[in-house]
Amino acid sequence: MSRYVLGLSGLYHDSGAALLCDGKIVAAANEERFSRLKHDSSLPVHAARWCLSYAGVKIEDVELVAWYEKPLRKFERILVNQILEFPRSFTAFRRSTFSWLTDKLWVRNRLIKELGVPASRLVFGEHHRSHAASAFYASPWTDAAVLTVDGVGEWATTTLYQGGGEGLAARSELRFPHSIGLMYSAFTAYLGFAVNDGEYKVMGMAPYGRPRFVDEIRRVFRLGDDGAFEVDLDYFSWHWSATDSFTEKLVALLGPPRFPGEDFDPKRPEDQRFADIAASVQQVTEDALVGLATRLHRDTGQRRLCLAGGVALNSVANRQILLRSPFEELFVQPAAGDAGGALGAALWAWNEVLGGPRVDVGLVPGLGQASPDEQTGEMLSDLKAHFERLDDDTLVERAAEDVADGKVLGWVQGRFEWGPRSLGHRSILADPRRADMRDRINARVKYRELFRPFAPSIRADVAHRYVDLPAGGEQPAQWMLLVAPVKDPEILPATTHVDGTARVQTVYEAQNPRYHRLLDAVEARTGHPALLNTSFNLKGEPMVSSPVQAYATFKRSGLDVLYLGNFRVERGGVDG
Amino acid sequence: MNIALADRPLWLLSWLVWRLIPGRGAVKLAEFSFTELGSGLDMLAAVEETPRREMRARYFQHALDELRHSELFRNRARAVGGSGGRAEAVLDDLGYIDSHGIRGKTSLFQQLGEREFLAFVWVAESRAAQQFGVYIDLLGTDPSTKEMFNNIARDERFHIAYSRAELDRMIAEGEGRAASWAVLRVRVRRLGEAWLRFSRVLGDVMSGLWLGIIYFIGVGPFAWLARRTERPKLGLLPVAAALPPRELAWEMG
Repeated sequence: MSRYVLGLSGLYHDSGAALLCDGKIVAAANEERFSRLKHDSSLPVHAARWCLSYAGVKIEDVELVAWYEKPLRKFERILVNQILEFPRSFTAFRRSTFSWLTDKLWVRNRLIKELGVPASRLVFGEHHRSHAASAFYASPWTDAAVLTVDGVGEWATTTLYQGGGEGLAARSELRFPHSIGLMYSAFTAYLGFAVNDGEYKVMGMAPYGRPRFVDEIRRVFRLGDDGAFEVDLDYFSWHWSATDSFTEKLVALLGPPRFPGEDFDPKRPEDQRFADIAASVQQVTEDALVGLATRLHRDTGQRRLCLAGGVALNSVANRQILLRSPFEELFVQPAAGDAGGALGAALWAWNEVLGGPRVDVGLVPGLGQASPDEQTGEMLSDLKAHFERLDDDTLVERAAEDVADGKVLGWVQGRFEWGPRSLGHRSILADPRRADMRDRINARVKYRELFRPFAPSIRADVAHRYVDLPAGGEQPAQWMLLVAPVKDPEILPATTHVDGTARVQTVYEAQNPRYHRLLDAVEARTGHPALLNTSFNLKGEPMVSSPVQAYATFKRSGLDVLYLGNFRVERGGVDG
Repeated sequence: MNIALADRPLWLLSWLVWRLIPGRGAVKLAEFSFTELGSGLDMLAAVEETPRREMRARYFQHALDELRHSELFRNRARAVGGSGGRAEAVLDDLGYIDSHGIRGKTSLFQQLGEREFLAFVWVAESRAAQQFGVYIDLLGTDPSTKEMFNNIARDERFHIAYSRAELDRMIAEGEGRAASWAVLRVRVRRLGEAWLRFSRVLGDVMSGLWLGIIYFIGVGPFAWLARRTERPKLGLLPVAAALPPRELAWEMG
């Protein structure tokens, strides 16, 4: 008889659910894909219910339901900190205590009531252990060092583990309020982007600048020789403020912050300053991560590193860890942030609570919901769309032809992705050889900031011809979590960032057969098995999930053509 | 003033809000942006959930309208409010739509069913048209915002027309009583929701007051004591138990 474990994360940001069957992943999804609210932090009821229905099981069939953290320990940290920061923590106390007393403290009751989880089957992991489990147990390695780095969990902000046959042994940790993730988020806010959303924009802005503020940032974020770091709390306010994360002292040190929503033009001196600050923050973050990785290597003697937590989504830093730390191989799970905590909690419960055997978990890009072609065709017909149904071969050939013709495609195939990256299941695709494609998609298709780069998907067997992937980076590259220098920026200019790098996704036939075939067909027409690949969404929205959402986004954007399963959809129909 | 007598209290209230509270107009536009986004998502869900396939195209058109309105309101809020203002803060609040109850855990269509959903569309769109009519009259000094409301009001007329036509069809098919009940239930529910919104504001004020008292009376002495104890240690701290005991898995803390 099959044994099921359901992992859940949420109530902070990016909630998710993941279901295991005998230790293998059956289904995993972010809540935002169902609720359509970006970074949805609510209890992942939709995602959990969908996981169960996908597997055809009821909640009573699930042996354990694992919540990704210890709520009481987290609340303790918040209260202790607010006591320590009296009286300036008043606003934060009022807000957080209200939300904890009315909502977050009752997570056990809510899970019992809203999902019908039997109380005896509900277990609570630790935030960083869930992150660590999401990477280590999903990796192909039986022994590895594990580093988890994020904003904050219960108390820990950074934890160093050794993973082996006995499980995950925590060795040491850094505690709140000293946090790389919160420091990076504070600078995200300083640079005018939304916290817990715009961190990757800072990463995209950094290459426009020079790291000339490194000394200033190191003064407020001090790195030790042993991998530890310390935040000068006079410059930051995340430990006592409900609304702000930096203080006037930081403004006095670096100058006025950037207003949210303003255009960014690196030719303007003020914007150049912001880019320089972004470059400096990025460099200090990389130094801190390399320091931690070096320390972890010294402690464990391992040559493989699993990385998890929101900071592991920093694909530029991931490259630096591979290049500058002694580790030879790196693994990052595609949903490295809090949503991935759901998978980690499930894997922890299976391996460490139930003592289940360690198995290949079957991690592939698409673990979410799919829509049958019959329903899609019916829906397109009802919406009077201009569409045609194609067989598999023709579909791929027509899509490749459209790419070669300079069209921008919506590409919705199979199950949606697990994690924040679009990996060829819910993608906007275009020809990366066309230099104007980046501005065109930013301005007319996705309506987002012009400075932001796009990533290339390249067939894995020839990726080395286009980018200088560091040895040991094969795993993160398949999830688009590694930046690499582009060998000839003139070949794929639309996906080459201003510093000559690209955040590449390597595509394997076994994991993504249709997308792999599309790359073959594109190569036949353009000479390069490469595509510009960006997430299928508009600015501020989650990636599309269902055909209706995809078609609505298609109608609202400047996309030329939409591939929905085996259907090719052109403009026309309802609302033109 | 070209508005009906019944709308004059709303006009006066809106005039006070838009004219007398600096930045409030821009915040209101930002809030409208989320309301329209929530409606757009509900309409898209209705496209997927309706058993009446002939309704899909209408719901879809309606969804596209609402999502476009959301974008119009968003852009206008930015234009009126400027960078870094309160409107920008509202627009950047990723949890706004959820925390303000604009969208629940199940879609409106699932909650109400087709008949009541159509009644809701008709009542809500009629009310929005009335409200926007007041704004159009009020915004004589801001032609761009006025023009935007005019454009949106045109779409609202289509939404009112098709939902009313569907209700009339039900009446013609002998479901008049059920349709009337649906409209009545929607109106009563909207009153209830208005009461809940008011209660929520009142609750926020009261809880803020109580928590303030607890903070200064209860937390203060602990803070005084805490300052005399050792601060948490810095640096990489060894973890006491490398592997937590299995039985602790059931503990929340």
